[in-house]
Formats: sequence, structure tokens, C-alpha cells
Amino acid sequence: MTERNEPITHGMSGALPDSGGERLKLSRQKPCIEVDKLNLFYGSTQALKSISLTIPEKRVTAFIGPSGCGKSTLLRCCNRMNDLIDTCRIEGEIRLDGQNIYAPTIDVAELRRKVGMVFQKPNPFPKSIYENVAYGLRIQGVKDRRVLDEVVEKSLRRAALWDEVKDRLDANAFSLSGGQQQRLVIARAIAIEPEVILLDEPASALDPISTAKIEELIFELKEEFTIVIVTHNMQQAARVSDFTAYLYLGELVEYDDTVTIFTNPKQQATEDYITGRYG
Amino acid sequence: MNDTARSEARSSGGSDRGFLPDGEARRKLRRWRGVKDHFARYSVGTFGVGVIIALALIFIYLFSEVLPMLRPAGIDVASSYAAPGGIDTDTRYVAVNRHRDLAVRYTTDRRAVFFLPETGAVTHEVDLPLPADADVSAFTFAEPRTELVAYGLDDGRALVVQHRYNERFSETGRQYRPDVVFPVMDGSDPLTVIDTVGRRIKAIGLQRGSGGVSIAAALEDGDMRLVRFEERTSFMTGEVTVRRVVHELPPLPQSALATRILLDITGAHMLVGDDRGFLHYYDIRRPERATLVHSKRVVRGGGAEVTALDYLLGTVSIVVGGSDGSVSQYMLVRDDDNINQITFVRDFTSHGAAVTQVMPEYIRKGFATADAAGLVQIHYSTSARTLAREQVGDRPLAVIGFGARANALIAVDDRERFYHLDVRNPHPEVSIRALWGRVWYEGRSQPEFVWQSSSATDEFEGKFSLMPLTLGTLKAAFYAMLFAMPLAIAGAIYSAYFMSPKMRGLVKPSIEVMEALPTVILGFLAGLWLAPFVEGHLPSVFSLLLLMPLFMLITAFVWTTVLAPFVRQFVPPGWESAVLIPVVLFTGWFCVSLSPYIELWFFNGDMRQWLTDVGITYDQRNALVVGVAMGFAVIPTIYSITEDAVFNVPKHLTQGSLALGATPWQTVTKVVLLTASPGIFSAVMIGFGRAVGETMIVLMATGNSPVMNFNIFEGMRTLSANIAVEMPEAAVGGTHYRILFLAALVLFVLTFVLNTAAELVRDRLRKRYSSL
Repeated sequence: MTERNEPITHGMSGALPDSGGERLKLSRQKPCIEVDKLNLFYGSTQALKSISLTIPEKRVTAFIGPSGCGKSTLLRCCNRMNDLIDTCRIEGEIRLDGQNIYAPTIDVAELRRKVGMVFQKPNPFPKSIYENVAYGLRIQGVKDRRVLDEVVEKSLRRAALWDEVKDRLDANAFSLSGGQQQRLVIARAIAIEPEVILLDEPASALDPISTAKIEELIFELKEEFTIVIVTHNMQQAARVSDFTAYLYLGELVEYDDTVTIFTNPKQQATEDYITGRYG
Repeated sequence: MNDTARSEARSSGGSDRGFLPDGEARRKLRRWRGVKDHFARYSVGTFGVGVIIALALIFIYLFSEVLPMLRPAGIDVASSYAAPGGIDTDTRYVAVNRHRDLAVRYTTDRRAVFFLPETGAVTHEVDLPLPADADVSAFTFAEPRTELVAYGLDDGRALVVQHRYNERFSETGRQYRPDVVFPVMDGSDPLTVIDTVGRRIKAIGLQRGSGGVSIAAALEDGDMRLVRFEERTSFMTGEVTVRRVVHELPPLPQSALATRILLDITGAHMLVGDDRGFLHYYDIRRPERATLVHSKRVVRGGGAEVTALDYLLGTVSIVVGGSDGSVSQYMLVRDDDNINQITFVRDFTSHGAAVTQVMPEYIRKGFATADAAGLVQIHYSTSARTLAREQVGDRPLAVIGFGARANALIAVDDRERFYHLDVRNPHPEVSIRALWGRVWYEGRSQPEFVWQSSSATDEFEGKFSLMPLTLGTLKAAFYAMLFAMPLAIAGAIYSAYFMSPKMRGLVKPSIEVMEALPTVILGFLAGLWLAPFVEGHLPSVFSLLLLMPLFMLITAFVWTTVLAPFVRQFVPPGWESAVLIPVVLFTGWFCVSLSPYIELWFFNGDMRQWLTDVGITYDQRNALVVGVAMGFAVIPTIYSITEDAVFNVPKHLTQGSLALGATPWQTVTKVVLLTASPGIFSAVMIGFGRAVGETMIVLMATGNSPVMNFNIFEGMRTLSANIAVEMPEAAVGGTHYRILFLAALVLFVLTFVLNTAAELVRDRLRKRYSSL
């Protein structure tokens, strides 16, 4: 998959050693989410320290880093899931299409429709497969059965699950395997036409075959959606992402195109982590 | 430290892994762990099985107390002998005392013969002072417990005789010196003149009531006479004076001939059976103006006649035996014009031959019937059962007589052979229909469900319908749930899902502590404070119901949309509900102080009176009060379980829903409630089970009237409260006692079924909605 990553150059650092083929260039991407000097506190502990980065549209951006580095927290900030934590306090801005999502006028529910999220553990609702996919639409007030049927089928097809479940749409979602459940959750997320899909370690609870399917799916989905993925799996980040950010202890250590990060990181810390010398 | 441990391990020559104990010590440890493991397994198992056994034992005990009621009754011939005192005269009446060791036989040849019921050996014999020149032309007996009989003579005179067993206790046991006395005297003459002209008495009736002895007689030409001996006790001296008054009564219609005359103990009714199968009812409340009110044919078979007729204990029910073998019960029931009518109540199993005698029991509403083919049956009126039958010899039976405790019968056939019968019939009052169906009780105008287990009088008919109690139980539980369910479930959802953890940490334990509140205090408060308060402020209850949600919604609206954000900052998120506290207090105060004005404006000043005028019964201690009080007892149970269920809905489900753009409310209604539904369901069922079994509150706040309705303004009596109220006064081993155990069994089964059903449904729901 790396051959798909066009060679890019970081805005500041000029040309990098060529790894063959064209590189994506971060500075040339159309921005989708801009994180601007973001500080996040859990009570008195600061979990994110002045993070600034730009997530490009219709690309896959990966957040990597050791446990507790704040990568999941940063991801959750993008659709304000951190609001659910009482002691959480945020400074700075995150802009989606130029608008600060932490502005008081923002409707959080609408924001979350635009910025969908898939969690580490598959979390289908205790409903049928059909109702799981239709849930987001029903939330938005869609009642027309034909529209629902159409969107459910389309979403399941896009999530590469349609052929496996089309004969048992009324079966309980728990009758699916873990990998199928995760794809169902992705289908559920894309059914409401989000702009961004946040994936929080989507394959870490799955077997290798299911993981491969999810990764293929991510590759398909970036045609239409901006994708941000948090992963522990270095190979996965290298395989699926266009850009990679390395976080450590709440700080953004390095952010660049994936090829650069994995082949020629500028920071010693990044290289140590990637090559497994971390710790 | 580490080094010493290692060196010790080495020195003991065991493991080369220094920090572990050596092999021997580890073997010991393994053994010890195994022992502990076994101990834990078996002790837990033992206690678990013990709980099940205890439960089963409770069930078995309850059932064993109920079981004797289900055993069938029986009659057996114990002995038989020729008539004591000679077979050459007819037996008119036999009776056995309560210990079954002395019996009496009245004969046509004017003797009272006392004999041993077991063997027929004569112990005493009394010649009755009847004049030799007069023939006995009529005979009757009053209620068996009065031990009174009367001879009517063909010279217009009558003799009233009372036999007395006169038991004494000496060192050798019970001893008897029986005699007869004559309770009504004409001066010093035991004979009473009924007809001064001296006409022959064709039929005679006798009764002793609270006012004294009454004798009625039908004379040979159809004239009817009523003689009353009115006893008056002087308040000053305590002296009893008896006044004899003779009344003439209207004759029977169409010159029918009276065959049997029944007088009731209140002195208000007289019933006369005639030779054409009719029963005639005389109203004799004012004997000087006595009227024949009503005549009715009481044998339905074509040419059949009335061959046996008697009152049951209490002289309300009349049992008619026909020549066709039919046995039916009649009562006087008031019609729409408030006039007593002879009314058919129920039939009993028929005899194959003409019924020759109906003999009531002494102390219950049971009776025995004998027929012309030698069959004896025993019946019970309230439960409408024919309990036992026994063929006694092969001759027609002429007379039967009960033992005072209804455990013995003497049957006499037409050749004066005596049969002494054992009767086992301890619980005739119970049948499925008597417990669960409508029963036509004495003195009622139609069949009803009634629970009334005791009364001040001996002739009282026990009314053991479990329907009012079961309904009362469900009524109390229903209103309690109506109050508790919305509050508890909504409160639980709010505190589990919307409340800040800190506030939840305050609220949840507080509500759970309410569970520990002794229900006797709740009942006490409900009965002595809440019930009068509600009665006095009835409109406030209803205005609260309307205004509380309204004011809350207004407050919420003002809070979220009207108030400026900087005011809201003073209340941290999740603490918004605290804002409602003053609103709730204000609404309560507002409704209570508004109450008198509402009563003035809409209910003519008094809502309670207004309700009564509209036709709604209002009891001070009613279902409304119980609903609130028991609701408070049930709320902590439902709240606590529901709260846990909602709180334990996995966070990844709610986050999944929120991440799809759902609002928190949509998440609650579409995901959280669905996932928590098994828990909420079981909370409701456990709460319901608690409400069904709750005793103290319903005991103190319901008024305990066993009514059969769902009126919120009337009380009820529940199964549990009924047991608590009546168990201390029920005779151990009696029917009432056993029925209380049956009520306990019903309660047990009710809760058992409820909980089992709840568990099954919950299991299904859990399978369907559990999150993996």
C-alpha cells in the first residue's frame, strides 16, 4: 500500500529522500479539521499540551503513540465525546470546515452527525442488523421505509457487509461475528453521511482476517470521507494511512506524511518508537 | 530481606527458584488450598440447598395446615341396638350430648329415656306429666341447642319439655344426673292451654328466642293460635316475670292442613308447611295484627309433597325435603317492595326416596337428611355441599338426631332399631365455590363475595370468600405501583443518566436508606396523619397531580430558554434538578393553601361531602392513602434496581448512540431503556411482589374493610393484613384457622408465580437485549 503514498515534503523541511513514486504533500492538502493550540485537562492533569495540526480532507490520518499519550483523547475531541467526562476542560480551538466546534452556538448532536466515530470494541445496539444501520436515520427523523431500505442497503454495501447479511437483516446484531459487527458499526456510521469518520483502534479487538477486511474498507472509504484512525499497530498505520502524527505524553512530537514518518523521521523519539526501541 | 528469604529457601534444600517456598511447603500449601476450596464449595452448596429446603418446608407446612380441609367427610355405623326403653312405642325425637356419652329419646308413650349412645343401655327414664285421658296429637322440637320439645294434645293443651344432661365432674370422671324441666308453666301446671275450647292440636311449633318461648299450633278445624310467653326482667330486682299472651292468627288459605310449623328466634316470622307442598309465611312481628304474607310451593316435582321441613341454626334458612327425595334450601328475601318472600336458594344432592327428616346441626349451618330407604346424608348450606352419605340398614328411617358437636348421629328406623353413627365432618364450610365464587348467604338478597369470619352471635354464618381479600391485595398493590412506578423509574433514569456523579452519590443512598424505614412507621403516619390530612385537603391532592408536572415544565422552560446563561453558570451541569427543590416545595405549599378555595369555588365548600353527594363512597383510610404510603415503601426497591440497570448499560452503547448524532434523550429512549429493560422489568416485578406481601402499612392505613371494588376512595383488606388481624383470634385447628393458612398459601403462590414469571420474562429479555 505504501506505493499509493505519493511523496510529500513537510512544509518546513524541504525534500525528503525519495522512496519511489510521488509523495502526498501535507501543505498541499485541503484542510478538513484544524486543531489549534489545544490544551486538555482532566481535573488538574494536563492530557494534551498545545496541540496544533491539520487533518486533510478525504485522506487517512493516523495517530500513533504509546499508551496514555493522548491520541484517543485528541481523537475524541474532534466530535466532542470528551464532553461526557465531567472533569474534562478544554482550551484552544478545533475547527471543522473553518468553524470552531467548541463555540457555544454549536449543536453537539449535529456535530457528531458530521463527525462519526467507530470505537475499539464493536458496539452494535441490541437491535436487528437493519435497525442498527437505520438508527442514525431514525434519529434524524427519517421515517420513509423506502428511503431507509435504500440507505441501509447502500451503507451495508459500502461497508462490504451486504452480501453476508442481506438474507438476515432482521437477525439480532449480536449474531454477527466480531469483525462483521465492526463493519456493521462502520455501516451505521456512514449511513448518516458524515464528513469525517473517527476510528479509535477499530481493529485491535479483531483477528487478522477481520483486520485485513477493515483495512481494505478504510482504503475504500477514504474516497468519500475524511478518516482519522488511532492505532497501536505500527504496520497498520503504515499500511492504511496517508499521514501520521506521533504523540508522546500529550505532546505532538511529529506529524508528516506516513512515508516520511516511517522511513525518515526527523525526531529521534519518533524513530525510537517506530523501530521498537521505545521504553 | 530478599537475601535472607533466598538463603533460607536454599538452606532448606528445596527449589533453585529462590523466592518461592520449597517443594514441601508448596505441597502443604496446595493441600491447604484444596481443603479451603472444598470447604467453600460444600458450605456454599449446603447453604444454597438449605435455602431451597427452607422454602419447600414453608410450603409443606402451609399445605399441611390446609390439607385437613380437603379431606372428605364420612359417616360410619358404629353400633346398632333395639330402641332403649322398648320398641313398642314410636320415637319422636333423639339427641346426643356434646361428649357423645349420653343421649335422650322422647317417645309417643310420654317418656323421656336417657341412654348411652354407644350401647343403648338405659340410664334414666322420666315419665312426662301428660294426662292419661288425652292423646298425643302433635310433636315438635325447637332449635336443637335449646333442648326443647313440645307435645301437642287432642284436648287443646300442650307440654313444653326441656331435657338436661346435668353433667358433673367427680374423681371418677364425668357423671350425669339427667332430668327434664318444664320451662313454661300455667301457674303450677306444666301443661299450657292453647285452645280454651279444647280442640285437637293438629300441628305444633315451638321456639325460644331472646324474648322468651313461643308456641304456635294449628287446630283441627284449621284455626291458628300463637302463644307467647314474654319474659321481662325487672331492672330493680332482677326478678323475671313471664306473661302469657294468646293470639289468633289467620287460617291457611283454601283450608290447607298444616303439617309443620316453624317459628324463628327473633319472633318475627312463622312458616307453616301444608299437605299440598306449599310453605306459608306469616309476619308475626305484631302478633295481634299478624298476616299471611306469602305462600309458595316449595317442592317442584309434580305431585310431590313436603315430607320434612326445618330451620337451620339461626332460623333463617329453611330446608325442605320432598316426597320425591329432593332437598332444597329456601330463605326469606326482601323484594323491591321490602316484603319478605320465600325464595329458593339452592338444591342439595337428592335422595332416592322420600325425605323423612331434616335435622339441623347445633352450632353450624349444616344438617342431615334421612329418607325412606335408609340413606343418611349430611349437607352444608353455605358451601352448598352434600358431604357424605351412608346407607343405614335397609328399613325406612323415621327419626335422626345429632350430637351437639355434629360428630355423632342417631338414626331410628320404622321398627325402632337404633343406629349410632360416627360423623367425621370437621370442615364442611369449605369448597372451591365457597372460597372463590359468589355465595348466597343468609340475610342477603343475592349471591355475593363476602369475607366475614366472625360475629358476636352463635348462629352466625361464616363467610369465607377469598375474593375480596385477593382483590384487596391487588388493589393496594395496583395503587401503590401507580404512585411508585413513574416516580421511581423516572427518578432512576434521571439519576443514573443525567445527574452529576456527586449529586447521584447523595441522592441514591438517601433513597436506598428509605428502604430501611420500618413500614410500621409509614403505616402509622399514613393512618394517623396522612389519611385525615388528605380528607381535609382533598383538592390539593388532585391539584398537585396537575400542577406539579406543569410547574416543573415551566421551570425547565424558564431555566433553559429564558434565563441568561450567566445565571445558569451558578448551577454546575448535572445539578439542575436541585433547582426544582424550591419549586416542588412551593407547589406543595401552593396546592395545600389553595385547597380550601378550590373547595369553596367548585365543591360547595367540602369536596368530601360533594363526593358523597355525587354517589362516591369516601372512607378516610382509602386506597389513595395506601397507594401513597405503600408507594413510599416500594419506591426504594424499584428505584434501586432500575438505577443499577440503567447505570450499568455499557458506556460504549450510549457513546455509540451519541456518536451517531443522537441527543441524550434519544439515546435514553432508544438505546438505554431498551438495554436496561430486563432490569427495569424485574425491578417492577420485585416492587409489585413487595407491595403484594406488605402487611403493616395496609394493616394500619386501609381500614381493613373487605370490599370488592377498585374505588380509590374506599379501603380494602389484603390477604396479609387479614392474616395478621385474624390469626390471633382464630381457634387453632378450626376452619377459620385453616382458611387463614390457605390465604397465606395463596399469598405465597401469588408471589411465587409473580417472581417466577418475572424471572422468565427477564431471562428472555436479557437474552434478547444483553450487550456482549
